[in-house]
Amino acid sequence: MGESVKSNVRSHCVGTTAIVYASDYLNKLTGERIERECKKQLDSGARALVIDFSDTELVNSIGISILLGIIDIAEKGGALVVFSDVNSETIQLFEMLGLTRHVLLAANEQEALSNLSTNPPQSQAIGH
Amino acid sequence: MDHNRINHGRQILGRVRRDEFIGRTAELERLVSHARQSNGQKRSGEAYGLLILLAPLAGVSELLRQTFDSLFSRREEVVPIYFALPQAETTAVSAAIEFLNTFLLQYIAYRRDEPTLCRASLTLNDLVKLAPAADVVWIEELIESYNRQRFGEDDRELVRFCLTAPDRVPSGDVRPFVMFDAVQLANYSDSSIPFAIEIVKALKSGGNPFVLAGLRREVLDAVTRAGCDSDALAVMRLEQLGDEDARNLITATARRQHVSITDETRDLLVQQLEGSPFFITSILQAAGEKRLALDSYLACERLYVDELMGGRLNRYFSSVLEHIASEPETRASVIALLCEATPEGKHTIHFESWRRRLKLGSAAVEQLVRLLHIQELINCDGDTIDITGGSMLWQDYLKSRFRLDALREPRAIVVADVMADALKRAPQTIAHHYRRAASLPLRELLGKFNSQLVPRCLFDFAEFAAVYKGVPAEEAAAALDADTSLVRLPQVFHTASGVSLSLALRPFGEESSVVAHAFSGGVYTNQNETVWLVARVESKLEANAALVEKWLDTLAGVARKSGLIRTQIWLIANEGFSPEANDLLRSRNAFGSSRQQFDVLTDRLSTGERQQSDATNEFQLIFPMGADNEMLAASAVEQVARRVNFTPEAINQIKTAVVEACINASEHSLSPDRKIYQRFQVENDRLSITISSRGILPFNFAGNSQGEEETTADESQRSDDRRGWGLKLIQTLMDEVEFERVDEGTSLRMTKYLRQSS
Repeated sequence: MGESVKSNVRSHCVGTTAIVYASDYLNKLTGERIERECKKQLDSGARALVIDFSDTELVNSIGISILLGIIDIAEKGGALVVFSDVNSETIQLFEMLGLTRHVLLAANEQEALSNLSTNPPQSQAIGH
Repeated sequence: MDHNRINHGRQILGRVRRDEFIGRTAELERLVSHARQSNGQKRSGEAYGLLILLAPLAGVSELLRQTFDSLFSRREEVVPIYFALPQAETTAVSAAIEFLNTFLLQYIAYRRDEPTLCRASLTLNDLVKLAPAADVVWIEELIESYNRQRFGEDDRELVRFCLTAPDRVPSGDVRPFVMFDAVQLANYSDSSIPFAIEIVKALKSGGNPFVLAGLRREVLDAVTRAGCDSDALAVMRLEQLGDEDARNLITATARRQHVSITDETRDLLVQQLEGSPFFITSILQAAGEKRLALDSYLACERLYVDELMGGRLNRYFSSVLEHIASEPETRASVIALLCEATPEGKHTIHFESWRRRLKLGSAAVEQLVRLLHIQELINCDGDTIDITGGSMLWQDYLKSRFRLDALREPRAIVVADVMADALKRAPQTIAHHYRRAASLPLRELLGKFNSQLVPRCLFDFAEFAAVYKGVPAEEAAAALDADTSLVRLPQVFHTASGVSLSLALRPFGEESSVVAHAFSGGVYTNQNETVWLVARVESKLEANAALVEKWLDTLAGVARKSGLIRTQIWLIANEGFSPEANDLLRSRNAFGSSRQQFDVLTDRLSTGERQQSDATNEFQLIFPMGADNEMLAASAVEQVARRVNFTPEAINQIKTAVVEACINASEHSLSPDRKIYQRFQVENDRLSITISSRGILPFNFAGNSQGEEETTADESQRSDDRRGWGLKLIQTLMDEVEFERVDEGTSLRMTKYLRQSS
């Protein structure tokens, strides 16, 4: 029942890494869509998640709480999470709430993939 | 063209213009329609009567006067007659004679089409002279007969004669329609002439349609004692005005009286004055006379206490009490009886106990109790007297009288205490109202179950969330339409608040739980009888297992103690349930739904249009809550900040702060209008933004910012408590943050300095 329903979140895979694109405003609704997509990718065998914020202008606190939930889920599954292309204001926000201690930050998608290749998921050491 | 529509005609008896008459439009149309249609439905020897059963202080006089004006202006075959029983201090005979005079006056005024006659003071002889030629004969005969009756010995016969005067109108091209305003009926206690019974008999035995309006307990009692079958009469029940009508009445009356009010004080007055047109107009008239602005809770309560202690409200309650107990000593005893029992928590007293305390004979006590019962100040079932009746205003009046008269406390102290209590109660009153308004419409939804088939997943959060969380509503609706796993709901035949079943549910809140009696499968057998115990679980996040277990245990305990055999527990939590809580629900065969599921279910069960929260086309810096509208607020502030040359980084910080303030306002306030009021103030070196909303003042807000979580993700990452960072973010991003004092809701003022950020 309903597995075919789309979440309207853009994503693609590079090997066992899933790249998921956040929208311009990360709030409860769009956050839940990303969460859903990330879960789907992890269930499909992804070992790492790159969340791309290149389109994201604004993030609210509910969106941040959902991102933390995604990090939780990924960690439980032994997967790594990288945030890429985050603007400086949003980085400031993430730092303010301690989010950056739990993820790697990358300037762009390429850097994220490169970082992941040098920090394989098995280590589970990123950010700790 | 609808001939039943109200004619906006002349203002004759009405105290207000038709367009200023608020709140009883449907009733007015019904009365006019009743008067006009009665002709066709009249049966031989049986009047077509309408009883208006009135809750105390619900107000009916103006409704009847407006009906009179409307019928008068129509110039049809119906001759409207409006008669209000005089106030006390009169006898049944005097009142009956006054009725005769009023009847002839209004009849002739109508026949001559001279509305001003209705307010004239004329003798019967004057009236004969004014009677149109077509009516002179029967009017002269009527007055001659009256004069003979008047000097006879039988008062009761005279009363009957006067009350049946409308029956003397010859059948022809017109017929009288008597509207009897008998709100004062309880004041006629002449034991030699049972006036109430005589009125009912006269109206019922005549051949003309009529309306009898009065206090519901009094009218029903009179109809029964007169030996009439009330089922043969049409009935209209009038309660206090609903919230919207009361708001409109306050707005219109305040405008008429040139009294300044705010939305907040208007809503307070609606609740505090309990939708009573009399209380509302009394307070606003007093404000108008004293030239007071009612623009704060303090101003409202100051006037309220003034009126209660020595103004209109005081005079009204005093007159009620004096009528019920004319002797000062008895009155003092009644006040003591009504006040003293309350602190002990004992609300019912035996009749015999009252008799002993009042030191009166049984008949006198019976009469006194009857009058209190009619005014719904107590509830009496014969042997026991429940003293919990009456409005909050009555309770305030009673307590102050008790302290002044019985306890002899200084007036200054009593006034100050009543005032303090009223001020303390004001935010609670309004908060209770908003909670009630914001609570899930559980009972309404259960009433719509009606054996309908719905997707099973709407009652299983885990199943629903796995498929539909984050899915756009239209797509979810389409997928649910295709869902083949369905459940048939029972047919609910009775719902009540859970608190009415068990006081164990009171700590969770009056509106939090509902008990619904139903039959499953639409089959009325013992085996199919089931009781749904439904509760709203308060949780900002997904409800956890501990909370769910507490609810399940409580509801199961209530079911056991109440002897409920087949039950179905259904919990509803805004954000749904944690995985552990879901497992628990399943293991106990209980249902669990999120707010989203509840809304989807409501949509599917509703036949009417879904209520939208509010108009969404309001701009001018007032934004509807929800639907990402905080981004509109953020965009607006961005434009302002750019003009003041803030840096892009500072602008982003301001936008984020505004978004968080809007989210907080939306999530915490239980706002009645679902709007966010945004105000920008640009000064030389700063931008100040005030985000306000109406509703409840959250505990953690307003001077208690420490109450909000000071955690970061590092500390709380693995806890469920990840929400509530909004205020912390705002304080970090902005230079100054303060809560402004408002009567209700929140008003958050944030300031960003240009020099610090450029």
